[in-house]
Amino acid sequence: MGSLYSEHLTWLHRWPAGAKLACMALLGTLLFLFNELWLLAAAGLACALLWCSLGPATHKVRRLIRSVLVAAALVAGFHLWLGRPDVAAVSALRLACASTLGVALTVTTRPTDLLLVLDALLAPLARLGLRPERLSLQLALMLRFTEHFFVQWQKLDEAHRLRTGRPGGLRLIAPLTVQMLQAAQRVADALYARLGG
Amino acid sequence: MTTAVSRKASHSMALVALFAALMAVMGLIPKIDLPLGVPITLQSLGVMLAGCLLGARLGFQAIALFLLAVAAGLPLLAGGRGGLGVFMAPSAGYLLGYALAAGVTGALMRLLPQGQPLRTAISAFIASALGGLVFLHAMGIAGLVLLAKMPLEKAFFADLVFVPGDLVKCLLCAVVVHTVAKAMPHWPFGGRER
Repeated sequence: MGSLYSEHLTWLHRWPAGAKLACMALLGTLLFLFNELWLLAAAGLACALLWCSLGPATHKVRRLIRSVLVAAALVAGFHLWLGRPDVAAVSALRLACASTLGVALTVTTRPTDLLLVLDALLAPLARLGLRPERLSLQLALMLRFTEHFFVQWQKLDEAHRLRTGRPGGLRLIAPLTVQMLQAAQRVADALYARLGG
Repeated sequence: MTTAVSRKASHSMALVALFAALMAVMGLIPKIDLPLGVPITLQSLGVMLAGCLLGARLGFQAIALFLLAVAAGLPLLAGGRGGLGVFMAPSAGYLLGYALAAGVTGALMRLLPQGQPLRTAISAFIASALGGLVFLHAMGIAGLVLLAKMPLEKAFFADLVFVPGDLVKCLLCAVVVHTVAKAMPHWPFGGRER
């Protein structure tokens, strides 16, 4: 499974994940608090500079940011069509800035580092009866299941092709769900056997 | 891991992870992009299934776990999107709505009559239409209005484009529930106690 993390080291890679996450949350909130066009234009310029400063690290996510820009342009076009050019500029800039910040964080931070930060943030929830360490186990299980799902889907699809000569498509969802529910029961039993008591 | 796990807890952990993974798999299936930056995906089917098969509490947990993985930067949303940026895009209302909609669908499924596979399937259709369609779309419209600053009636009509597709997903969800009800007659739909 590919993550969007880039191995091209940049200055932002050296920042601790927690600090980046806090900055991102703060700036993201600020973006939505202000409506002044010049402030948002400045933010847009800053985001463009940030993007350029990351250099080759942004290679992988070019398509992603392009789709964001297209969405921003569509939103802007929509407001222009309604005759509100000021709202158009503000909402398009806001969208583009927020997405750039999110993408910058994602590209320069390993998912495991973010998960560690999340673990630390979720730790106080232990008092409310939630178990952060279980959350990590569940995330790992989820990634494993995703792979298993895909393999299982391909098997079912091949079997369907052999029988009918056509790809299975949506018809496979029901048998796939039943198979996976049974797999989940086996996994639950295995978990209980190892951790239960 | 130091804490011991009860049989019930290990069961719910496996199921929550499973349905989070189901959401991820549905994201790998290619999406169709519509204007306004809101894509048609199979993932709302995942939400309906999580609600109908797991019930309110576990269904909510499963989708929340999936969203957590997305927020951590895994490109699991349809079209390979991920990261915190997507929670600020125009479609963020739908994303946050996913978890709540799974909860609403699950709660409805628990209340609606069950028994014969057909009756269970009809209940699943109603639960997913109310929770996964009406409720989810209301959240999505709220997101469009608040995040993309779209006027309410425009957002409503933009959203209507997705309703036929999602009705088909409700039907698919009912078909899956029908199959599961036949294959696993003791399955606790909507999280009912066995």
